[in-house]
Amino acid sequence: MKMNQQINKSTKFRVLSEDQIEQIFYSALEVLERTGGNIYQDEALELFKNSNAVVRGNNVRIPTTMVEEALNFYPRKITLKGRNGKRSLHLQKDTVAFGTGSDLPFTYDRETGKRRRTTYQDVNNAGKLVDALPNYDFFMSHGIVGDAPNPQTYDRHQFMAMLDNNTKPMVVTSVDGEGLEDLWKMASLIQGGEEEFRLNPMFVAYIEPISPLKNDRTAVEKLLFAAEKKIPAMYTPCPSSCATAPATIAGMLVQSLAETLLATVLCHLKNPGMPLVMGGVTTLLDMKKSTYSYGAPELSLASAANTDIAKWLNLLMFSTGGCSDSKILDEQASAEQMMNLFYAYLSGANLVHDVGYIDHGTNASLESLVLNEEMMGMVRQFGKGINTDKDHLALDLIEKQGPGGEYVTTDHTFEHWKEWFMPKLQHRGDYETWKADGSKTMSDRVKERTDELLKTHQPEPIEDKLKQELHKIIADADKRHS
Amino acid sequence: MVNNRTNYTVQQSPHFEILSEDQKEKIYNGMFRTLQYTGANVHHEGARDLFKKAGCKVDGVKVYFPPEVILQALSTVPPVTEVFPWNGDDSKKITIEKKRSYFGPGPTPPNFIDTETLERRKYLRKDASLVAKVCDALPNMGYVQSLGSISDVSNGLADVYEFADMVRNTTTPIMSWAFGREGVHDQHRMAIAMAGGEEEFRQRPNFIFYGEPISPLVSDYHAIDKVMYCAEHRIPQVYSPCAIGGGTVPATHAGQLVVALSESMVGVIAAQLINPGTCVIIGGVQSILDMRYSIYSYGAPELSLLSAAHTEVVHYCGLPMYSTSGCTDTKKMDMQSAMEASLSINAAMMSGANFVHDNGYTESGLTGDIFQTVMDDELIAMARVVERGIEVSEDTLAVEQINNVGPGGHYLYEDHTMNHFRDYWMPTLMDRNSYEDWSEQEEKTLKDRVLEKTRDLINNYEGPRDKVPDKADQEIENILKESEERIKNG
Repeated sequence: MKMNQQINKSTKFRVLSEDQIEQIFYSALEVLERTGGNIYQDEALELFKNSNAVVRGNNVRIPTTMVEEALNFYPRKITLKGRNGKRSLHLQKDTVAFGTGSDLPFTYDRETGKRRRTTYQDVNNAGKLVDALPNYDFFMSHGIVGDAPNPQTYDRHQFMAMLDNNTKPMVVTSVDGEGLEDLWKMASLIQGGEEEFRLNPMFVAYIEPISPLKNDRTAVEKLLFAAEKKIPAMYTPCPSSCATAPATIAGMLVQSLAETLLATVLCHLKNPGMPLVMGGVTTLLDMKKSTYSYGAPELSLASAANTDIAKWLNLLMFSTGGCSDSKILDEQASAEQMMNLFYAYLSGANLVHDVGYIDHGTNASLESLVLNEEMMGMVRQFGKGINTDKDHLALDLIEKQGPGGEYVTTDHTFEHWKEWFMPKLQHRGDYETWKADGSKTMSDRVKERTDELLKTHQPEPIEDKLKQELHKIIADADKRHS
Repeated sequence: MVNNRTNYTVQQSPHFEILSEDQKEKIYNGMFRTLQYTGANVHHEGARDLFKKAGCKVDGVKVYFPPEVILQALSTVPPVTEVFPWNGDDSKKITIEKKRSYFGPGPTPPNFIDTETLERRKYLRKDASLVAKVCDALPNMGYVQSLGSISDVSNGLADVYEFADMVRNTTTPIMSWAFGREGVHDQHRMAIAMAGGEEEFRQRPNFIFYGEPISPLVSDYHAIDKVMYCAEHRIPQVYSPCAIGGGTVPATHAGQLVVALSESMVGVIAAQLINPGTCVIIGGVQSILDMRYSIYSYGAPELSLLSAAHTEVVHYCGLPMYSTSGCTDTKKMDMQSAMEASLSINAAMMSGANFVHDNGYTESGLTGDIFQTVMDDELIAMARVVERGIEVSEDTLAVEQINNVGPGGHYLYEDHTMNHFRDYWMPTLMDRNSYEDWSEQEEKTLKDRVLEKTRDLINNYEGPRDKVPDKADQEIENILKESEERIKNG
């Protein structure tokens, strides 16, 4: 046995040096002391007024000591339990989970091929696919329930559409504090009460500030409610470099971090020790086309760097991958999605969302979800690295087979080839077989697989009694807002 | 703030690694053990004599290499080698050193996708010029290979015709292959003609030669003979196998890398014995045999993983790496080719391999597709963005600008934005239109745009063909004629 051997059990990747991270951190602290953030919610302003922060109108400037103190109180581990009863999602350092994005307004209709508004049924179908596909660890709604009776309560309907066909842990969006409260009540019913939810949370609440450095009423309401009830939540900026953030990646990261740190202080003032997750969709505005790019290589780079920062701060990270600018599912979509999946995985972000997004995050596509399943599998395979133990080095076998030998018929090959990635959608047959099978493209195979999954997958149902109780919460909300 | 900092280290580009130092050492040591006790077959008497004289044990065709011979060879490999464009435009100069990457197509598939009909057919002579010309125009092709093996010239001269046509259609340094010593010799003479003389070629070599051992652990006569020729004339050369995991090498990645490294080292040792300091690049295609279809997979994630890990091992040995990316098992360009290429290109870029070939390989290496190369060119540009990393400075941290703009403002008209937005990568093929604009513009897919761009280059890009000096042009024609004679009499 050799001593002091260090073995990489996975790939290792890092964008920023520790010194660079510190510079970004110092700069974010400087922004909070000098520029501060604006808050449009009374309770939050009150909390800051009663602290060492300086409040002038809606503007709040925060001393570094408050940030440093708050940062000591955030968890390094959150474990989520889906409605299937499995504590399956472990948010902890360098543990990567993939999931969808949410609230896409449009969908390509699978019958007509035309773009239309997303509906309850679309979210239902997305949930079914994500439930069936093993590389998805969590579910966000993918689409927005555009046919809900009232925009003020759409979030409850959307959550129900998600729950119908999906048993995995989730990330949920909500209209406001009251909406989040209803979702939390629904989830608590499923988990067996509010106390159980605290130890076995079913979802992380998605909340976002408005870049640059602005916090609107509903976002802050949600954040304070999450803090009060210790609901896992993320406060995740979507800065677009050149428009709502500086035109440099470092500058965008500084601003984004300042926005996050403001939230850490606010939550700490409200109720120390809430499970807050850092986040961000950090990318740029394409100055030529005036679109927010989900396929830019800079998204991959900035997101991986942001994850470096989160790890250094001992915060959990909500990142981005599997998304594209392409208007349809084509070569561009798969190339961009693969690229940002790859870097999100390598970086070790905890929740990688937006998997399956196309069209700059405006268009839902069920087929895109199915395609990404294969790509996530490939990326995970890559991330396994190389096993160099005695059996895998195979020096004796190499000697035995000798120069000019072969390995196809050896037991060693038979034992080990199953360690390789088994594609389900990538075609590896020869040209003749492929032609004989109808010259199918990846797009054809993805369509077939999507049809098959939608037809055959049977998610574990919610029992009737529970379902009624859930619907009652929704009905009450609709009544309040009618 | 940044300016006054001391003890300050920045990561100029991302740090990426698969193997730890200890793991690299294991594979390195495995190579020593394999060459010493398992040995390698060398089907070349002259080479065996050379090895024997250096201290190797020779038994029939089998050669056993003691560690001191291997270490001696590794001690004379050059840390830096340069390859020059023949027209003196050094913006296309290649510097072969650790972690500096050049991407290019690959050699010798039998088929080609016709650029007019999009049908798969045999690779023809005209395709070599076309590939060279298109690659000359592509900014991310750092060197050029042919994407095929010419089927419509005299038997045994595909290599020489390919060289003659390619070198005159691109100033980007080319990487050639040959059937045997005579072929390399003809190519070498053409390269000298392009350089303007023998001494000029020695000062400014303008091509790289590609040859390969056969896994496991075999160097055939021609392979090693070509290694010797290139070493004698100090032509930078690749000696790297296409190792098939579970077929010609073990099914476990670590075992595969041990064999691949060992068999390549035979070429390194031969070259260094003949001419210490000559440049040998090793590596090769590292992938697996799909057991269900008996296909050597060019799209498997294992190709990316093996290639990146092998790059680390090869660099650990102090040698430059010939790696693989931008290739696919697809029969026809589709989402599969794009995703497979995207993965392998990004993995190769992060690994820092020196030459990354096969950008444009489809059908598991059986068909060259210049459209795939053009798409790959864009994907390489994207990967370069990540390779460049993030600049952290007073200016880029932008604390002043954040303060100026303030909460709720925007950065669109800031000077800082005007100064920096061009630093971001601008796509040439990737679409970033809004849905509405895209709809108005015929709803094109990436494939549509790739076809348009490629055909536009074929029809409208001039290339350097007319700038080839008459003297060199004439000499190349003469060499072609002589090679026809050689074949006739051979």
